Amino acid sequence: MRGARLGVLVWKEFLELRLNPRLFGIVIVAPILQLTLLGYAATTDVRDVPIVVADGDRTRPSRDLVYRFEASRHFTVVATVTTVGEAEAFLEQGRAWLALGIPPGYGRDMARGGSAVVQVAADGTDANSITAALGYANALVAGYARELVASRSASDAAAAGVMDPRIRVWFNPELESRVFMIPGVLALVLLVVTANLAAMAIVREKEVGTLEQLNVTPLRRWELIVGKLLPYGVIGMIDVLLVTAVAVFWFDVPLRGSFPLLFALSLVYVLCTLALGLFVSTISSTQQQAMLTAVFFFLMPMIYLSGFVFPVENMPQPIQWLTYAIPLRYFLVILRGIFLKGVGLEVLWPQATALAAWGAVVFSLAVLRSTKTLK
Amino acid sequence: MAAIEVRRLTRRFGEFLAVDDVSFDVQKGEIFGFLGSNGAGKSTTIRMLCGLLRPTSGTAHVGGVDVAADPEGVKRRIGYMSQRFSLYELLTVDQNIAFFGGIYGLDRGRLARRREFVLDMAGLRGREQTLARDLSGGWRQRLALGCAVLHEPPILFLDEPTGGVDPLSRRQFWRLIDELSAAGVTVLVTTHYLDEAERCHRVALIHAGRLATIGRVAEVKQIFADRPILEIRTERAVEAMQALESVAGVEKTSLFGTSVHAVLASRAIRPETVRETLAARGIPVASVETVPPSLEDVFLDVVERG
Amino acid sequence: MRMLLAVARKELRQIVRDRRTVLIQAFVPAFFLVVFGYALSFDIRHIALAVEDRDGTPQSRALVSAFVNSGYFDFAAAVRGPRWQDRLLDTNEARAVLVIPEGFARTASTGGSAPVQVIVNGDNANTATAVIGYATGILHSAALQFAPGSPMLDARRGEARVPLVMEPRVWYNPELRSALFLVPGLIAYISMLMAVTSTALSIVREKESGTMEQVRMAPVRTVPFLLGKTLPYFCIALLSAGLVFLASMALFDLPMRGSWLTLAGVLSLYLAGALATGLLVSTVADTQQVAFQIALLVSLLPTLMLSGFIFPIASMPAFLQAVTHIVPARYFLVALRAIVLKGSSVLQLLPQIGALAVYALVVLGLASVRLSRERA
Repeated sequence: MRGARLGVLVWKEFLELRLNPRLFGIVIVAPILQLTLLGYAATTDVRDVPIVVADGDRTRPSRDLVYRFEASRHFTVVATVTTVGEAEAFLEQGRAWLALGIPPGYGRDMARGGSAVVQVAADGTDANSITAALGYANALVAGYARELVASRSASDAAAAGVMDPRIRVWFNPELESRVFMIPGVLALVLLVVTANLAAMAIVREKEVGTLEQLNVTPLRRWELIVGKLLPYGVIGMIDVLLVTAVAVFWFDVPLRGSFPLLFALSLVYVLCTLALGLFVSTISSTQQQAMLTAVFFFLMPMIYLSGFVFPVENMPQPIQWLTYAIPLRYFLVILRGIFLKGVGLEVLWPQATALAAWGAVVFSLAVLRSTKTLK
Repeated sequence: MAAIEVRRLTRRFGEFLAVDDVSFDVQKGEIFGFLGSNGAGKSTTIRMLCGLLRPTSGTAHVGGVDVAADPEGVKRRIGYMSQRFSLYELLTVDQNIAFFGGIYGLDRGRLARRREFVLDMAGLRGREQTLARDLSGGWRQRLALGCAVLHEPPILFLDEPTGGVDPLSRRQFWRLIDELSAAGVTVLVTTHYLDEAERCHRVALIHAGRLATIGRVAEVKQIFADRPILEIRTERAVEAMQALESVAGVEKTSLFGTSVHAVLASRAIRPETVRETLAARGIPVASVETVPPSLEDVFLDVVERG
Repeated sequence: MRMLLAVARKELRQIVRDRRTVLIQAFVPAFFLVVFGYALSFDIRHIALAVEDRDGTPQSRALVSAFVNSGYFDFAAAVRGPRWQDRLLDTNEARAVLVIPEGFARTASTGGSAPVQVIVNGDNANTATAVIGYATGILHSAALQFAPGSPMLDARRGEARVPLVMEPRVWYNPELRSALFLVPGLIAYISMLMAVTSTALSIVREKESGTMEQVRMAPVRTVPFLLGKTLPYFCIALLSAGLVFLASMALFDLPMRGSWLTLAGVLSLYLAGALATGLLVSTVADTQQVAFQIALLVSLLPTLMLSGFIFPIASMPAFLQAVTHIVPARYFLVALRAIVLKGSSVLQLLPQIGALAVYALVVLGLASVRLSRERA
């Protein structure tokens, strides 16, 4: 008999969902759409930075240097002018981000075997890209410098070659940003879809009045909760499958760990997001409130502080303490661990435990708040 | 033992006293009307009796079960229909019936039988596949009532069940309530449509959280035993009211629809006298006659007494 | 015009009744700006470095010091066994492992080439790129110090042998403070999110609760109706954005080198566009749940990812760059940074202002068309 009550409630939820085809479409289409957009957008590779060159020398060596910049995929030389003043005008107008100034006498100094200094002025408004651009410029110049050293004398060549730096990158040799971001998108999408849908669904019944009707029936409190949340849990797990499939087969994100483990831990995470949705529904009386609360107090902070884009280790200590309360943080580590590093529970058990604990605590809080009889 | 026993029931919301020391009984099979204006405490009382709200103090027993101690036990024994009809808009008539039947644990055979009953009772044969939101007011009301009695509860709580529905549908609805009562179901109904309340066996008037008066409809009207009520039909009702205020023997006047009701202080004054008085003031009157007191008159009287 | 104000007044009254919502809309954005501005940075520092020094000579230790003293790396752990590398990188205890081979000092002093390994944790490509950059730089300069015959740690001697050196000068943001980059981005993001969510449910709510009838019967034309409905939200959004700016300037030293008037104008256009977006969503959806999901779909991640806030637009594939043209935050960010950091004038920002204006008008127009159809 008890199973029948729960069954009926779940059946009704699915019926209502089916009669709302737009919602259904959204929860299936939106994750894929977002995944696609972000998969392609996520790149930290700085390319085609517009650079203007003020070549005050105009000799063979100076043109050599300019050619290096032209040939690099990181830069696009938009113009070559003569004076620094002209070059700086480009910066002011925003037509170039960097201005390279080669002083007169550069060629003569190079031919003599001496040294020279070139100036690079940068538009610092987009600090992120400029830092990278300056880094590339520096590397380009340093590499060029080493070549010059190597071509000059035997002992200098030896000096230049004394160290053979070998850089090896683990887990992501191509340094593809998307490999890092896409598992993150899965976590985020689940949060947005399941938590919000669950919260809105419950609050809507509150608003319409049918929740009161349900409270009057012999329906148990746990049956009411499970019945409302189950369909959204199912949707969440479907999204897990969909997003994983797109990530692996379309974006070639490697899945080096165990898929069953991924599925199981995703289930734990989905339970956390559902708990969150339930909790939000107990503190909101209208759908508008539910939405605002969910977005501003949970979604937005979670996006920024969970390690999705900004690494947690770069944050000040007090904030790092705060991030321990964000389930997304643990799930991101789990996802990146399973996708990129191929590790299992032996490494991820702290995160898995933390996630389970978070879910249990929030769920209990929410259940305590959602009584059938008001005090 | 009475079907519903209420003793000194009280409910506070912070400083505000919504229900103040209310006591009454409802016998099995009675149609008990709970009357009062909005905000008087009717809904709060009903919600306490349904186990939706915990009383601040006092006790209530519904079907023998203490509402404070065992609210879930109460819910098994009652049917409830709320102000907003509480149907699932996106589900069809059949699906709503199936849903509530499942929630109340009806097995397949019983559900089938009750479904037939509800469809007939509500007159929804042939409309099983209609979405609830596509039904007009009267049909929805009857469907909601049907879903509330699917599990054949001995006690039924109806909270403002006829809000916003046309008079014909309302009459049909009350006929259904009569049938249920005849079959032995105890019905406690709150309403602010005082003309409907005339159909109850007993009524209780709630005002400012207190029980102002209680008894059979005829008993309750006894307050007008020595005070006849005149109904004056005139084009200039407001002027007539003002004119009558100063007439000796007229206790008070009020507007009733387009006519004026005047409560006379005693049987001594005769309708003709009033007519003449008004005519003398230049107010044409279509008719003046004594009318039996209605519950609305009772209500206005009670409210005015404070 | 009077109709517009009447609609606005009614909407305002309804809004004010839900006090929690108004408070959230007004104050929460500034609150989070402070939290995020404090918490987030693009600077990569304190990189956890694990060291496997198989040589154990003064030279190898000097190399390790070079890393630690650079200010970028923090010593995290010493690798003591064969599986340690794996463990340290798997658990993210170390972001990089420096492996100095046995015989490093001997090889260097005899003019040979010693292979020094740096293993970088690649799971976060952004961080990894920076780590590689720093490590390469340190190794390059260290190489020249360990040349035969040159005393160790003689930095000046080392540098004199380098024929070419680049000297950077950064305009507008000389320390390349990421806060100056971050804060405008946060302002753009939070404002957009707040504006879209405030209007996204406004019309759908009427549809769901059945008061759409009243909307249809209202004797006011669609455009003034929409504008009237949006006006109170606009004021709240403006107030909220004002608080955000105040907080940025007070707590994060956000400069203001341009004109306040220009800033106000650009901000208003941006908010108008965002509010209009919410309205459009509201006319498209049939339930509040759907409206919410669409609103998030349109604002939550795209504004973060496609506005140039975090990922440079120029590096995206062509089709995606085209898509960014309809992300208003893209234009707003450019304009905001330009006004605040460069002091740009209206003339210089005409393209951005034009784009924002076009966006707002088009979206508002679309919303009107859809609403008219519903009212007809």
